[in-house]
Amino acid sequence: MMGCTDQTSEPGGERDAHAADAVFTSLLEDSAEELYEQAPCGYLSTLMDGTIAKINATLLDWLGLEGSQVVGRMRFTDLLTVGGKLYHETHFAPLLQMQGEVSGIALDLKAADGARLPVLVTSKVKTSQQGEPLLIRTTVFDARDRRAYEAELLRGRTAAEEARRQAEEARRQAEADRARLQEALAVLQQSLLPSALPEIPGLEAGSYYHTASPDLLGGDFYDLFALDGKRWAFFLGDVCGKGPQAAAATSLTRYTLRAAALHDPDPVSVLSTLNMVLHERYSSGDSRYCTAVFGVLEHGEDHVSVQLASGGHPAALVQRADGSAEFLPTPGGMLIGVLPRAEFTATRTELRPGDTLLLYTDGLTEARTGPERELYGEEALHAFTAAQPAAGPQALVTALTGLLAGFGDGLDDDTALLALGMPPVSAPAPDSET
Amino acid sequence: MTPLTITSRDAATGPVLEITGDLDYTSAPELRQLLDQLTLMAGQQLVLDLTGLAFCDSSGISALLAARSRAMEQDATVALAAVPANTARILRIVGLDRVFALYPDAAAAVARASVTDLTA
Repeated sequence: MMGCTDQTSEPGGERDAHAADAVFTSLLEDSAEELYEQAPCGYLSTLMDGTIAKINATLLDWLGLEGSQVVGRMRFTDLLTVGGKLYHETHFAPLLQMQGEVSGIALDLKAADGARLPVLVTSKVKTSQQGEPLLIRTTVFDARDRRAYEAELLRGRTAAEEARRQAEEARRQAEADRARLQEALAVLQQSLLPSALPEIPGLEAGSYYHTASPDLLGGDFYDLFALDGKRWAFFLGDVCGKGPQAAAATSLTRYTLRAAALHDPDPVSVLSTLNMVLHERYSSGDSRYCTAVFGVLEHGEDHVSVQLASGGHPAALVQRADGSAEFLPTPGGMLIGVLPRAEFTATRTELRPGDTLLLYTDGLTEARTGPERELYGEEALHAFTAAQPAAGPQALVTALTGLLAGFGDGLDDDTALLALGMPPVSAPAPDSET
Repeated sequence: MTPLTITSRDAATGPVLEITGDLDYTSAPELRQLLDQLTLMAGQQLVLDLTGLAFCDSSGISALLAARSRAMEQDATVALAAVPANTARILRIVGLDRVFALYPDAAAAVARASVTDLTA
């Protein structure tokens, strides 16, 4: 049944096809010649030596040439730019010879008016039945849009690469700048502290400085230096704030203290001088204050006498050889630099073998500890110090450094420690440590 | 860490700033900025109510001192009210308990200022 249906429909189908062909033919007024000449691409045929034997109107139109100028007179390579000729010579022709066809090669034609015409060229060698090459048939497609697109892509890629290169360069530069800044900050920070504590006969000293942030200059400072043959001055303090301004104030503070001490080492008079200098320097606008302990050490027969004064600074602590510890209160000592005239309180003590005087900044006592972030506080520091064996300043500083490390995140401020004392009599010689 | 909030109200004797939260290195500039914009009349008293002050470091103390200089510039005075124990301890250490007028609360500060005003 199915076969019957197919057979009956066949004559009808053939009729339809013929009718359609007729319609198309009349519509297109088509001929092979017309199709060749007016094709939407260029056609040309050349002899094996490249002499142009036939070329269509489309291509002649693109080139702005007449058929008579070209056929039998020019070779295909004569239509190419210098670059195109070279490429044809080195790649196109050899490939064509080897493979018998080459497809989609980008070349540049040179029009009569000198304009450059980017094209895509496909060539195929026509051979005789014996396989002898007879001629080359070539189609030429206008590639102006495509080249423009490719050029755009290339430009885009170049721009992207350039942007990436610039970003990379900027990143490298920023890294270098940052390293330089860190280096400058480290140098500046070091200038606020002695590079090494001086060796003092019959006296041991230890110090430690903790920087909360490598990016922010801290305001903590300390120093120890000779006044004359038998007296030594020391100080430790904290300038409010952080950063370059604080560092500048710290520098001013440090050198004022040193200069004032050489002029008149009385601790109250030294702090009064500093107060005057800071108040004068910073009275307008950007105020800078500091707290500091300043003191003088003098060798006695079997002890070192300490005379010190404090301006708003946490009380110094003395660790005694007998395992006790005591604060040296200086009540009423004022923050330095706030008022034109400030009061400072002096106190004195004696250090005997095994006694250590500890100065610290509030980074230590204001550190927050434990899950409740409680202030560490002065009582805890007192208890900690009393519990340490009286093994001298360096041992105490080492113990406190360990304590600070244990605070971790809780230690969010700069912290300076300075410990001074007479070495314990029975202790093994500490000379190797200094 | 508690964020800093500052609310301002006017009492008969001058502005009262209620400072709540942490006054430290990161937040102190906020108080300084507010103080810069604050206009006081001669003889007025600026009260800093510290009832809600959770933490105050050296930058915070500096900001309190900035308030004092700001007030003095304009011939006004400054008082601290309800200073928390921790901060009071620091003020004592640095000798500022003798520089600032301290009151147990804002009402006492305002009352005291109006008495001074009457006697003056």
